[in-house]
Amino acid sequence: MQVITQPKVYPVIIIGSGASGGMAAWNLTRQGIEVVLLDAGDKFDRAKYWTHVTPWESQARLARGEKPETFFLDTKEQPYLTPNDRPFELTRVWGHGGKTNVWGRVSLRYSDIDFKAADRDGWEIPWPISYKDIAPYYDQVEQLIGVNGGTDDSDVLPGSKYLQPPPAPRCGERLLQRAMGKLNIPVVAGRRANMTRPTRGFPACHYCGNCGNGCDTASFFCSADHLLPFALQTGKLELRSNAVVARILTDENGRASGVQYFDRRTGSEQQVRGKVVVVGASCVDSTRILLNSKSSTHPNGLGNGSDVIGRYLCEQIRLNARGYLPALEGTATRNDRGIGGEHIYMPRFNHRPGRGRDYLRGFGAQFWNTWSNWNGPQEGSDQIPGFGASLKKQIKRRHPAWFEIHPFGEALPYAHNRITVDPKRVDRYGVPLLHIDYHLGENERKMTEHMADTLEEIVKAAGGVLVNYKRGDLDAMGSAIHEHGTCRMGTDPKRSALTAFNQMHEVKNVFVVDGSAFPNATEKNPTLTILSLSWRATDYLAQEMKRGNLSN
Amino acid sequence: MATSPTDLTRRRALTQLVAGAVGVAATPVWVQSLCAQARAEADTQAVTAAAGASSWAPSVLTPRQDEAVIALTELIIPATETPGAKAALVNRFVDHVLSVADAKERSEFIRGLTWLDDRCRARVGKDVAGATAAELTSVLTPVATEGASGEDAPGVAFFHAIKSMTITGYYTSEIGLRQELGDDGRMMLGAFEGCTHPEHQ
Repeated sequence: MQVITQPKVYPVIIIGSGASGGMAAWNLTRQGIEVVLLDAGDKFDRAKYWTHVTPWESQARLARGEKPETFFLDTKEQPYLTPNDRPFELTRVWGHGGKTNVWGRVSLRYSDIDFKAADRDGWEIPWPISYKDIAPYYDQVEQLIGVNGGTDDSDVLPGSKYLQPPPAPRCGERLLQRAMGKLNIPVVAGRRANMTRPTRGFPACHYCGNCGNGCDTASFFCSADHLLPFALQTGKLELRSNAVVARILTDENGRASGVQYFDRRTGSEQQVRGKVVVVGASCVDSTRILLNSKSSTHPNGLGNGSDVIGRYLCEQIRLNARGYLPALEGTATRNDRGIGGEHIYMPRFNHRPGRGRDYLRGFGAQFWNTWSNWNGPQEGSDQIPGFGASLKKQIKRRHPAWFEIHPFGEALPYAHNRITVDPKRVDRYGVPLLHIDYHLGENERKMTEHMADTLEEIVKAAGGVLVNYKRGDLDAMGSAIHEHGTCRMGTDPKRSALTAFNQMHEVKNVFVVDGSAFPNATEKNPTLTILSLSWRATDYLAQEMKRGNLSN
Repeated sequence: MATSPTDLTRRRALTQLVAGAVGVAATPVWVQSLCAQARAEADTQAVTAAAGASSWAPSVLTPRQDEAVIALTELIIPATETPGAKAALVNRFVDHVLSVADAKERSEFIRGLTWLDDRCRARVGKDVAGATAAELTSVLTPVATEGASGEDAPGVAFFHAIKSMTITGYYTSEIGLRQELGDDGRMMLGAFEGCTHPEHQ
């Protein structure tokens, strides 16, 4: 006799295991809620990372035929489209922890200058939350993940009593800091999720500066190290790897009923049923999934009656200016790798009296003194004239003197900057591909000018020399890897897709908890805010489930 | 609307190009692209670290061209109190970068090398591999000047390319980083002191 069993209906399905999805899984399972978590990739093996490995040892290993763990998704496996004249560099990590395996770790609190920007200047919509709504979550997240930083507290960058001690500035950063002081340009310690103290059983950072290779001691926050194992320990989490989500399925009432995905290894189609779906596949892939989830009740994509999903893509503008400080030429070579990247940060200042310009929103900047990057010092060295022993001597003299300035600026949300899906071009599973159409406007051009003026002024005051610097040049579109806006939250269901708790206005049992929910990009790095919002949204979700408001 | 998929592998090497990181405006695109490719390949120079060095053979360069590249790279970063580009096997790095570069960039580079051989013969009666260091220096000095004119002008772009590739290859090798620049190689510090100079505070 054949026994027919009904497929299991999970209380919650989460898509994606990075900052947003990992936080959702951790927060729901610790409250006793059963979750199935789908990730498009597999577990990365920390034992295989080449973290505390010198370049020469890496070379020897490669020569022996060994390979480090590779994190980034190859476009050959999963292509995306752009207009020919508007390239966009999309960086995706499919695997447990997603981009938190290799993220930049900069952890800056947003303030009401960010949340209420649209109230002040009228451009698009403000966030439906204020700083006071999210501040308790910032407190919790900082304690959970271990963020280092200074004692500063300002209208732009709210202070925190939960920060771990920041690493000391390097020589070049001291000189730049002093110059900024002279110019009355604000400068503070950087804030980064590198643990400078042992935290929750994880060892402190060893200052190898090699964070981009993944951390083999888990000394910076990564969802796969700091959230998923604890969620699994509850016994409430089922983690399905290599589950490439295609669509969210809906019932006859238009409510989410499950998720359709493809097995990345076999290509076979699978479905999982659930009462609530939490989407945290990162801004661009979450948007693709929502737009591909078409049905008779959702002909324009899931929860997209407003047609805002896919629009208002905002990815920050940035550039990387390099130069050297003659005052440091010829000094001894130091081990300046530190926590990788900058140890000092310039918070936004263009809203201050007398500092304004004819554009909206603002920019901040990270500053560092070279040795954080094994390749950095050599990049400008080919501009030193001549060749031979004198060139070799000059390169060595300049080696300790290199610095980098790395400004990030807000790009405004525009309806025409848009993610769509192309029904005629499909991936290996037959699912329509992403199309990203993104370009900047006049506001961003003016901001770029101000960025250039500012960094040139600071370098001049510090007695520095810029090398290979082309005023006004920006890094390629997409290279900030801070995509936002395509499934934004707001109070008006006609102009936004999500409520203040990341719940879809049109589909009550779907929550979108990643960067796509941000109504604007701000100039700050988003992960701390993504973690805080996801924690807040899933607290609300857990309460709503307990109240019975989310049962079918 | 014309659309196309983005090629991720290639694009990483060219990010800096888009950013205008290779600054001299007159530098041809092929040189910028090749130099960016070299930087992208810098941490994969397994070829230069390979044990059993005697078994190595160039994959792009002919043996004579390889000898020329050895001579040129050593002239750009010579042995001083520390070993130079030859000891750091930078020629193998150059051959590797050429092997992964676009065909156009590869052929431009080879064309430049051939031009330099011809120029060398015209000036000192020998090809690059056969010339002494002093002879090569006299041939290269005018070529190494940005904005060189007359008969030396065609070599400027090539020299820029091989100089940049040599610098990248040498200063990412153990000899360059550790012996020449004095990197302590320590990857596990108990504390980070930062700047301790009183004059910088």
